[in-house]
Amino acid sequence: MRRALIMTLLLGMVVTQAFAADVIKIAITGPFTGGSAPMGASMRDGAKLAIAEINAAGGIKVGAKMMKFEVTERDDEAKNERGALIAQELASMTDLSGIIGSVNTGVVLAGDKHLQEKGITKIITPAAGSASLTQWSKAGVKDLSIFRFAAHDGIQAAMVVEEAVKRNLLKVALFHDSTNYGVSGRDDMLDQIKKQGNKLEIVATEKFNIGDKDMTAQLLRAKNAGAQAILIWGIGPELAAIANGMAKIGIKAPLIGGWPLSMSNFLDNAGKNGNGTMMPQTFIEEPITPKAKAFIDGYHKTYKVTRIPSPVSAAQGYDAVYIFAAAVKQAQSTDTHKIKEALEDLKEPVKGVIATWQKPYSKWDPANFDTHEAFRRDQAVMGMVKDGHVVFANDADRQRLIKSATAVKGKKAK
Amino acid sequence: MNDSVVAQMVVSGALMGLVYALIAYGFQLTYATSKSINFGQGELVMVSAFICLSLTNLGLPYPVMVPLGLFCGSLLGLFVERSGVRLALEQKSEGWILLTIIIGLLFFSVSENIWGRDDRPFPTPIPSDAIQLFGISVTPVEISVAVGVFMIMGIIELFKRKTLLGKAFEAVSADRDAAELMGISATKTIMLSYSLSGMVAALAGILVAPITTVGPTMASALVLKAFSVAVVAGLDSGFGVVVIGLFLGALESLTSYYVGSGWREAPGLVLLILALAIRPTGVFGAAVIRKV
Repeated sequence: MRRALIMTLLLGMVVTQAFAADVIKIAITGPFTGGSAPMGASMRDGAKLAIAEINAAGGIKVGAKMMKFEVTERDDEAKNERGALIAQELASMTDLSGIIGSVNTGVVLAGDKHLQEKGITKIITPAAGSASLTQWSKAGVKDLSIFRFAAHDGIQAAMVVEEAVKRNLLKVALFHDSTNYGVSGRDDMLDQIKKQGNKLEIVATEKFNIGDKDMTAQLLRAKNAGAQAILIWGIGPELAAIANGMAKIGIKAPLIGGWPLSMSNFLDNAGKNGNGTMMPQTFIEEPITPKAKAFIDGYHKTYKVTRIPSPVSAAQGYDAVYIFAAAVKQAQSTDTHKIKEALEDLKEPVKGVIATWQKPYSKWDPANFDTHEAFRRDQAVMGMVKDGHVVFANDADRQRLIKSATAVKGKKAK
Repeated sequence: MNDSVVAQMVVSGALMGLVYALIAYGFQLTYATSKSINFGQGELVMVSAFICLSLTNLGLPYPVMVPLGLFCGSLLGLFVERSGVRLALEQKSEGWILLTIIIGLLFFSVSENIWGRDDRPFPTPIPSDAIQLFGISVTPVEISVAVGVFMIMGIIELFKRKTLLGKAFEAVSADRDAAELMGISATKTIMLSYSLSGMVAALAGILVAPITTVGPTMASALVLKAFSVAVVAGLDSGFGVVVIGLFLGALESLTSYYVGSGWREAPGLVLLILALAIRPTGVFGAAVIRKV
């Protein structure tokens, strides 16, 4: 019995070795269950859609061979300790080309050090917490294998503050959850309020815990302090509890905050109480360009849904795979270190569903974490909840995106 | 202090407190007859809520779903009694403590595998738009919690006082040995108390699910509060758990308003320590002289 088992194991190793030479091994990690699952699962499904497209076209030409992607999935359940274990496991895989994923900033902070130690290339998406990259700036790391493909909280906080100023909502209450994500989001907002000239007056700062359902106390404090807008950093279910609580005690002030306000578990649990809520988005589920239409239709058809649980995560997962694939092609190798170098200096523009990416990354400079950030302010737009869907909050953004898409096409035609 | 704020906080908190009281009442029912409680009561609440969600998704209307859900709840209560409590009680051991915890964990994993780990909205025909009562905003869903809690407790208390079966229940609670000598089956009475307790858990699930959403961890915070309520009130009095539940709920929300949202959990724990230090039998509990 025992011998048979060992034989099978050995055989298995030989077989995988034989296959290993012809595939690009890539891992997708994230929370596929629990409160963050809409983001994790959408990211995974978006990424797998891109991988299926690439594999269906025969794969990527590396040297003389056409290589296909092979995916390893790991569910970190949004738990920091699970994330650390998974990162250790992946770091010990010698033939892994790279990793795409992570939704929760806490998980990123717990796990990425193991990957950086081995120099394994990772594209973080859609975790937005600023600390994911600033931790490496602070440590003064000279060579970094971690990239990000998401509008980080710095950009998002800037947009949230801008929106409040633009709409002349000058007395605001800051709400945040007690996780790493919520606390760093509050700090980003405070920072941005200062940077944008202290136009906003903070009348209340309130926190809440994961799992809290009754937010009446915090909301009443905000209401009685005369808040004209509630700026918030948290995750889906608690955000819904806030929106429902606001309706209950009759707060008409708009809810503006980080992009989890577009999560399906916020939209579903808040129902019509979510209408008018605003949040930064990198992708709106509206077929405004042919590329966006193809992506949305593809997602709906493949996963049999009529609404992407988190369109931002799905689109970012999709584009991240294409950027990674472009790096593999340029590196002409499945070696994770060579892919990292290629990512830092991508020659060809990558056509994605969010934008056409021209040199998204450059050589890591600890003094400027933007070198490993793909998104700038321009690639993000303000979204607004309308009857369970996220639409463009400002039509100007919509027109701008349509125009830039046709402009790129125009250039190509020349 | 602003009066309307205080009133609003007291009402919102007290309504939440009634849910603690209802779950604590489930402890009290089984403790009365068997001197044992189901440490997996929170999981019963959660599983019942999931079953009701599935029934609703099958297209059953609310008035049909509720009794069916209550029935499933009482079956689950019976299952706990048969598998976790009866053997331990027959051997006069405290094994039911571990067994009920283990059954709770079992329910948790089973429902994670059947229904997944996501929090899901629970459809209800009761509107959730706020209405104004004397300047206080409450939602009809919250009022339904209060109505439901008082109704089921009223019915069960009436049943205990007015029917023959209920009197047997009271007799076993008062003195199990004497009741058995009078020809009352203690085993059957304990079964009854567990099925009632399961039913109460199911009702708690149905009432609270529109507010908390349905997920595997929906009741874990509630059940801890319910423990505090049960211990502070004493496990002998159904009336006591309501009073303490209302009080604790109101105290919690006043604390989070006036002291800060981070201090929300503090009053429950302080109350628990005070009760154990000053009056271990509970505020409404009667000291029992144990004959050795």
